[in-house]
Amino acid sequence: MLDPTILIFLSSGLFLGWSLGANDAANVFGTAVGSRMVRFTTATLICGAFVVLGAFVSGTGAAQTLGKLGAVNALGGSFMAALAAGLTVFWMTKFGLPVSTSQAIIGSIIGWNLFSDSYTDISSLLKILSTWIICPLLAAVIAAFLYSATKLFVRKIGTGLIRMDGYTRLALILAGAFGAYSLGANNIANVMGVFVPVAPFPDIQFGQGFSISSAQQLFLVGGVAIAVGVFTYSRRVMMTVGSELMTLTPLAAWVAVMSHSIVLFLFASERLEQLLANLSLPTIPLVPVSSSQAVVGAVLGIGMLQGGREIQWPRVYEIVKGWVVTPLISCLICFVGLYFLQNVFQQTVHRESKYLLSASVLEKFQKEGIDAAGLSELSDSVFHSSAEVVRAIKEKVTLTSKQGLKVVEFSFQKSLVITPEKISSMDKKGLSRSQLVALKKLQGQTYNFPWQLGDALAVTSTEWEVRGGGLKNKLHDRKIKRKLAYLYRIFQRRER
Amino acid sequence: MNPLSLFFKKQYAVEEKIQRLLRYLEDMAHLYQGAYEAYLDGSSDDFAQRNEELNKIEKEMDDLGLQIQMTLMRESLMPDSRDDLLWFLTKLDKVPSSFKHSLGEIALEKPEIPEDFQVPLKKMLIHTHDAVKALAHATDSLFSDLRGVRQHVEEVGRQESEVDQVEYKLLKKIFQNEKFELARQYQLKGILRQLGAVTNLAEDVADAVLILSTKHST
Repeated sequence: MLDPTILIFLSSGLFLGWSLGANDAANVFGTAVGSRMVRFTTATLICGAFVVLGAFVSGTGAAQTLGKLGAVNALGGSFMAALAAGLTVFWMTKFGLPVSTSQAIIGSIIGWNLFSDSYTDISSLLKILSTWIICPLLAAVIAAFLYSATKLFVRKIGTGLIRMDGYTRLALILAGAFGAYSLGANNIANVMGVFVPVAPFPDIQFGQGFSISSAQQLFLVGGVAIAVGVFTYSRRVMMTVGSELMTLTPLAAWVAVMSHSIVLFLFASERLEQLLANLSLPTIPLVPVSSSQAVVGAVLGIGMLQGGREIQWPRVYEIVKGWVVTPLISCLICFVGLYFLQNVFQQTVHRESKYLLSASVLEKFQKEGIDAAGLSELSDSVFHSSAEVVRAIKEKVTLTSKQGLKVVEFSFQKSLVITPEKISSMDKKGLSRSQLVALKKLQGQTYNFPWQLGDALAVTSTEWEVRGGGLKNKLHDRKIKRKLAYLYRIFQRRER
Repeated sequence: MNPLSLFFKKQYAVEEKIQRLLRYLEDMAHLYQGAYEAYLDGSSDDFAQRNEELNKIEKEMDDLGLQIQMTLMRESLMPDSRDDLLWFLTKLDKVPSSFKHSLGEIALEKPEIPEDFQVPLKKMLIHTHDAVKALAHATDSLFSDLRGVRQHVEEVGRQESEVDQVEYKLLKKIFQNEKFELARQYQLKGILRQLGAVTNLAEDVADAVLILSTKHST
């Protein structure tokens, strides 16, 4: 039976999902509904259905980058992070400033990191920050290209006025459905990403072939919350969007939605990443990007192509100002909120974690390229937060941001025990035969650090090896890491 | 059955009505030419019958135009360019009215047409008929294939210029002929002006077609 307090904590995520649906649906269908090309009811039905589908089917990719930025490890912390983001989004809307849920939730996570003294991986943060510039730029370039190509195509086929109206309507609906799917896939990480590390639902197994993971269940619930936001509160925003930056013709509206959807899809699709990697092309980071940023970039791209005279530049400046202010406000609200939740309401907002620099950990550091020779003084020291252990090591040796992450990963102490009961009850769907055999060989073993299980498995079977380096290996390694993370959760020794 | 018709039922219905409207327009041009020629040939019964038929079609065209306008409004078709389309349909509606007025004036005044005016007037009627036919084709292109619009619009312009030239020659003839009384001169001028007005209007509407097609293909 699900603990009711879990539902209370999850409510903030649902609130954030609701506000995202209320606001961001306008980015997908606003221009179509505002220009009366598509009926509001049609738009909400399609948007709701595809948001849920996108969140459920493709939601996991972008969520992992958020997880790297900061793994909020207590339900109370996740609650406050989502609430702070939701309130920021809500207030910014009230003050008439455009909303970006992505920026709000990233601000919240940083707030939680600061409050819990957790290590913030600067490289992941920079990766996300860079997308705040890349995303609108990319959307603008795609929109400008798509607009020119569409105009050429329309001129070439010379379709009559009324039939063109019908084609544009259908194109707007299809682009909207694609946009809603991409919105669900990419932005569900903003809504439910912070709950993933503390996901309260057990995996559901349907017979032998099909199971729904705990994260997928979270994303499904989040997707439904977004859909409810679309149904209940998006009408006004939809009717006003589209004319704020410049007036769009239905064709330009289609180009804007399509470009926005392509950008969101590019930043959320694991399959595309795999394809690019297989072709030895540079991959696009899987990061939750702002739907508003994408659509604003797309509209500006079309506007610039037409000479930029019709663009409402003061509105553009306001929007950019909002992009800077949103994460800062969200971070502040989250920090203050966590303080109250912990000290006034006596809730656990972060779990005590232990980081131990044992001899085996130092040896592992050395193997991974961290200069462990200078760390002998810290041998067997125990730290109680990830930022604390990184600070202590940084005083002795130089660490890059990535090495900082490794320090946190390898020194994090969590006891694991491999029992036959757990092996038989676990979901084996994602494991190969050889991987399963390797795991079974380790029955009865105990480990003090999760990475030790990973290393033991890699020794037993090459199919458990994290290869490192190279684009193709990046995808293989991510799969292995995902499987290992599952094993670390399953075989965790319960504290009595 | 075209599978696309399932998606674009409303659009196809409006297109079908517009096609019907254009067929009426071409029929009217044909009737107008026939009625006018019948008058010139002195066949008053034929003239009366064709004139009556033309009035009937003009009424049907009026109703159909109204239906199209109502459908565009009711079905929220082409919301961004509906005003343009309504403006265009109102303009197009003036062409059948000009046919009606031109024949109405003849029926009322029963002017005596000089013998040497017969051939040039019939030439004007052929050009008028062709101008309206080209206008119908241009309008058809606006709703089926924008690429064909310019060619038909240019054809309307050519026919209008032919009509203008004949009209000018006849007007000169009227006012240079001292045998004609001033009243007759003005009556003939009025009749000629009414006939010339049909192609002027056709050219005006054709320009609107070109503007619409240019606006929607750029």
